[in-house]
Amino acid sequence: MKCILNTGRTVPQGTAVEHKGSDAYRTVASACFLNPVDMMLLGIENGARIRITTLTGYVVLTARSAEGVTRGEIFVTIGPYANHIISSETHGTGMPDFKSEWVDVEPTGESVRSVGELMEEIGGLRYDPE
Amino acid sequence: MILNDVVCPFCGCLCDDLELEVEGDRVVRVQNGCSLAEATFMNDTRLPAPIRRTTTGWEKISYDEAIKETADILKDADRPLLYGWSSTHGEAQSVGVHIAERIGAVIDNTSTVCHGPSILAIQEVGHPGCTLGQVKNRADVIIYWGCNPIEAHPRHMSRYTTFATGFFVPDAQRERTVIVVDTRRNDTANIADEFLQMEPGGDYAVLSALRAIVRGKESIIPKKVAGISKEQLIRVANICKNAKFGAIFFGLGLTMSRGKYKNVRNAIELTDELSRHTKFVISPMRGHGNVYGSNEVFTWMTGYPFAVDFARGIAFYNPGETTAVDILRRGECDAALIVASDPGANFPRVAAAHLAKIPTVLIDPHVNATTALSRIHIPCTAAGIDAAGTAYRMDGVPIRMKKVIERGYPDDAEILKKIYDRLNGEMGS
Repeated sequence: MKCILNTGRTVPQGTAVEHKGSDAYRTVASACFLNPVDMMLLGIENGARIRITTLTGYVVLTARSAEGVTRGEIFVTIGPYANHIISSETHGTGMPDFKSEWVDVEPTGESVRSVGELMEEIGGLRYDPE
Repeated sequence: MILNDVVCPFCGCLCDDLELEVEGDRVVRVQNGCSLAEATFMNDTRLPAPIRRTTTGWEKISYDEAIKETADILKDADRPLLYGWSSTHGEAQSVGVHIAERIGAVIDNTSTVCHGPSILAIQEVGHPGCTLGQVKNRADVIIYWGCNPIEAHPRHMSRYTTFATGFFVPDAQRERTVIVVDTRRNDTANIADEFLQMEPGGDYAVLSALRAIVRGKESIIPKKVAGISKEQLIRVANICKNAKFGAIFFGLGLTMSRGKYKNVRNAIELTDELSRHTKFVISPMRGHGNVYGSNEVFTWMTGYPFAVDFARGIAFYNPGETTAVDILRRGECDAALIVASDPGANFPRVAAAHLAKIPTVLIDPHVNATTALSRIHIPCTAAGIDAAGTAYRMDGVPIRMKKVIERGYPDDAEILKKIYDRLNGEMGS
């Protein structure tokens, strides 16, 4: 299903923002809010895994039903999960399309990766505090 | 020990009425703050000591070693990028600008992926704004456009708008009309008097439609504009025209959507249009605690608010070219110093990935996503928690942040000053 990716801040994201290695942060940053009708058309339930694909790549997120999200739009909090698939093109403004990236949404059996795994996928090495 | 009038450094509201209970090096209770403030003060886990990436893992190093290696990396780089700055105080930001000038670096702050487009619009058409105190005491119509203060600035509505008692608006909840424009029915929309639910990317068209109606040209408006009915647009335009004092607050819904700075320009021009009928003001909802301060400090020192390139020996500013995401996505910089921010989490993948390809040094109190992309991470104080310093509220009011505890970390301004001194020594002062 083709959708527009919208991103933004949330309170749970803000309270966990300095704990990016935590399970709490992974849960809030990898949640993808969809309109219930779109979820029905995709044949998925609350908590299902979905694969979001763009020209940049793909990321696996957890679907969450949200009536406030319009059909054809998905909402993910700002952070490494959304940014894993957002293009770095800025159209000469310095600002990427954080709120208007076209994405393809499909159900998947894959699991949600950790922030450390996402960073290692782009050449990093996670630091695990003792 | 109880501390009063403490400033929360988390978001651009910089609430300065917190009461903290402190026991030794820990904050044990936060009064008056929102849940973001509580997490900021009470759940503050730090990186204990500087670390360096090895081929297989990470090793602890001394501060002296970390500072020397950082200076060497910056000295040897042809096109260094200094990025971040929004979660620290003006004192550290100003040392950053000195380093950038000394080594011919590009220095950019987080407004580049936040309200950078708002600044571009303000440079085109000006900023009819005011302080939050004026809004609190006078505004009877509030518009939140493309922002969600309940989630991002949780006390904005209770301190300054919807629920705040003002001198000329004593019964705030009854006397203030709140209008929300967004693509999502978010929590802020749920308590609005008027909610305009717009199709994604419709901001420019809706702003243009409102401007046309305010100008008396409603006959040219189609039945629906980006999903919003003509009737509702006319109703909202009339609420605005009949306001005694109106205030528009806008968020990243305008700056990040299609149109970017042109959306903000259109919103400013709507404000201008409305001010021909009554008094209207407009202001961005700044995100990080001191992101406004980074614009201030950069502007005093270089003439430009962000994306400043010293490669020519003089300050050069060309957003789209000298902005951090563009420099990284082109693979242009060959070293990076990241201070008080997390581009690993907040930049698009290709831009973040370049940080892992070059020697990147992170100076930040916390382990974050950028730690994994760095060669060295140097922990420091957190401004407003264990370091005092100046920050700028979202309306441009400077507020002195307090030091509320001592945790034994060096101030980031001090670390940066040592790097600067070392660069001066080695490059010949």
